Amino acid sequence: MAMGEALVVRNLSKRFGGLRAVQDLSFSVNENETVALIGPNGAGKTTSFNLITGRYQPDAGSVLAFGREMVGLHSYEVCAHGMARTFQVARPFGGMTVLDNVMTGALLRDKDLGTARNRAREAIEFVGLAAKEKIAARTLTTIDQRRLEMARALATQPRLLLLDEVMAGLNPSEIDQAVSLVGKLSKRGLTIVIVEHVMRAVMAVARHIVVLDHGQKIAEGTPKEIVENEEVIRAYLGSDSAHVPALGST
Amino acid sequence: MKVGSPARKGLWLGIAAIILIALPLLVKSSFTIDIFIRILLFSFIGVAWNLMGGYAKQLSLGHAAFFGLGAYTSTILQIKFGISPWIGMAAGGVVAMLASLPIGALCFRLRGPYFAIATIATAQVLMLIFLKLRDFAWGAEGTTIPNLGNAPLMMQFEAKAAYYYIVLGLAVLGLAITWKVERSWMGYYLVAIGEDEVAAEAVGVNAPRIKRDIYLISSFLTALAGTFYVQYIYFIDPNTAFNFNISLEAALVSIVGGIGTLWGPVIGTVLLESSAALLQSWLGSVRGGIQLTVYSLILMAVILWRPTGLIGIFTHWYERIVHRRDLARAA
Amino acid sequence: MLATVAQAVVNGLLIGGVYALVSIGVTLIFGVVKIVNFAQGEFVMIGMYITFFLFMQFGIDPLVSLLVSMPALFIVGVLLQHFLIRRVLGQNDMPQIFLTFALSLLLLNLSLLLFTANYRSVHTWYSDEALHFGEVYIPVAKLIAFVVAMTLSGALWAFLHTTDLGKAMRAAAQNREVAMLMGINPNRVFCVAVGVALALAGAAGSLLMPFYSAYPMVGQVFVLMAFVAVVLGTLGNVLGALVASLMMGMAESLGIQFVGADSGLIVVFVMLLLTLAFRPNGLAGGRARL
Repeated sequence: MAMGEALVVRNLSKRFGGLRAVQDLSFSVNENETVALIGPNGAGKTTSFNLITGRYQPDAGSVLAFGREMVGLHSYEVCAHGMARTFQVARPFGGMTVLDNVMTGALLRDKDLGTARNRAREAIEFVGLAAKEKIAARTLTTIDQRRLEMARALATQPRLLLLDEVMAGLNPSEIDQAVSLVGKLSKRGLTIVIVEHVMRAVMAVARHIVVLDHGQKIAEGTPKEIVENEEVIRAYLGSDSAHVPALGST
Repeated sequence: MKVGSPARKGLWLGIAAIILIALPLLVKSSFTIDIFIRILLFSFIGVAWNLMGGYAKQLSLGHAAFFGLGAYTSTILQIKFGISPWIGMAAGGVVAMLASLPIGALCFRLRGPYFAIATIATAQVLMLIFLKLRDFAWGAEGTTIPNLGNAPLMMQFEAKAAYYYIVLGLAVLGLAITWKVERSWMGYYLVAIGEDEVAAEAVGVNAPRIKRDIYLISSFLTALAGTFYVQYIYFIDPNTAFNFNISLEAALVSIVGGIGTLWGPVIGTVLLESSAALLQSWLGSVRGGIQLTVYSLILMAVILWRPTGLIGIFTHWYERIVHRRDLARAA
Repeated sequence: MLATVAQAVVNGLLIGGVYALVSIGVTLIFGVVKIVNFAQGEFVMIGMYITFFLFMQFGIDPLVSLLVSMPALFIVGVLLQHFLIRRVLGQNDMPQIFLTFALSLLLLNLSLLLFTANYRSVHTWYSDEALHFGEVYIPVAKLIAFVVAMTLSGALWAFLHTTDLGKAMRAAAQNREVAMLMGINPNRVFCVAVGVALALAGAAGSLLMPFYSAYPMVGQVFVLMAFVAVVLGTLGNVLGALVASLMMGMAESLGIQFVGADSGLIVVFVMLLLTLAFRPNGLAGGRARL
């Protein structure tokens, strides 16, 4: 088991006007670990992803990916350094085919079209979209678009992958498929951070969980510790969101 | 893009090439050659625009800025320094590229319609500047270039066919560059930026740099067209060189013909210029406003019913014809 | 010297009021429907021609023509949204930009065909009257235009903040999805927004006729002013558009007075490029508020 720290987030903060979206967030992820970021709606999870991957610039704090500072970099530089992300609502290149979408990701590492095409096909195979290679991305189902999103991110050959709510709206068997994909990625050596509401998936993949509420970290620990944590329970039950995750159940 | 096997495509291209090259020999009417020159010129300008506006969806309505810079650079070099317009053409391209850097830096910060407005503004500002430049560039009156008769080294010819071949060469150059870009990694990156710039950046596409680079190419090519135009009509003034109609047609032919496709600008130009020529012959002198009225109606029709451009109709028919023929053969 | 400055400021302020009507329309459509109406100036032009013909044929005073031009253009706006704009709303940038752009081209050139490029003007009993305050003289026609423009702007503000429909529009502007969930019909709201915006353009046209000539290209001047004011005042912010329009009017007027007669256009472009370069979110800093 690798001992290095893949991702170190320290004192990350961001305000939007009067709203403190993320406050003083700190956590770290070891290499090859799978960590889940959970919390009620509006807790600042996606914003944290956006800050970590360079889509927004934080007001304060630092993000070290494999020892290199990411704050101040554009999202394309962050990706080049080995940290890839998917979007909560999939953003495929609608007019392109599945293959072309993923090739766009693959081209980051090698501008040769042949090599990129092979890498792209590997990623497409991995997520199970091989049969739909030539289909226009905008005609895919939502779930397939999410698969595409993942394939495209994988094609950039990341060492660190951030998945934003990939399980949302999936039925139980689809969740199992997704969980198994995440497991396979972990076996390949990837470090993974997932934002997720589907607790069943979180329990299945995450070794370590970080809980956010109102932009702040309120708890951190193993799944077992989190389930029993009173603050976490209060955050979910006491919040406005009606979503109460079925902790530990199927 | 036309469908069909490479062999078939090659056949069509070959036939088209032969016709185009032989055209001046087949057609004697100066008026007709003039129309073909216009079609080739605006195809070229459209192709240059399309690299940026079609593939990467950076909808500039200010490309006349580069057309005018090209035209003025070669004219100033020619008249004030006696430098050949062939060199002036290249110099004009370089000037345009240099201009595209600050213009891009300013305009690319803006999204959608405000990008378009900013580009319109830059072309207008250039026009206003050149209207004021009396000593440097003849101000509002403009200038004619001295008629040297047949002077190939100074890009002046007595035979109209010569101008035809030059602009044909330019159009082929533009198409070749587009063809190459389409098939390269840059092609993928341009389309990705055009589809969703944020998602593109998330997979490592350096959007600011790609946009800057394609702007360099697009502005360079557009400037070449400007030099050609001055040499063809022997006249330049700010209103002609930086005319909004040039910016407009540059965008229009691609949108109407097929935005972000290789042949789209050509199809669009053929349609729009033919309709303009037809109108002119039906109505005698061009009544103010009729041509643009027709253009705007065509544009609205395309936007409402075929936003991807008319090229889709051609490929559809082509596929149906080929499909039917293949069915017949199989039977 | 002071009098010259004061005069320029007054001139600018008065015309700024008319610019405000045009730019409020643009910012309203942008805030609610989220598209840029490139044809807004052409609707001012149409308002001017309507006023011109009513005056020439029936002797109707331009101010009375407001009762015709505004409702007529409101209806045009509703039709425009319902039949044309609605069709491009789901699509990306290109159709949205070029639809109103094509419309602008179409209206301008149709008008050129139908009316020719000649300037048309009307001469009312107050076209030459002016009030005098010390050394500053205030043309009555322009003053009336300013007062009516400000009244209409105030009425719009009241509409947006006190009526249910107005609040629905603001809700749709802020968050379309939530507004829909609350039962607001987006198309209805959009129709009203576009209708109101065009009615304001028509009003501007009527108010301009006593002191400004109509010609096919006149819209281009006003739409340019409007765009700059909208960007300067922050996209979607009605008050911002109003204030920015008054500022633009004064800047243009001071430019003409102290730099040169044809500097108006340059001033506008310079202001546009400066805003885009340094404060692209406008003076209100990105807060779109109807």
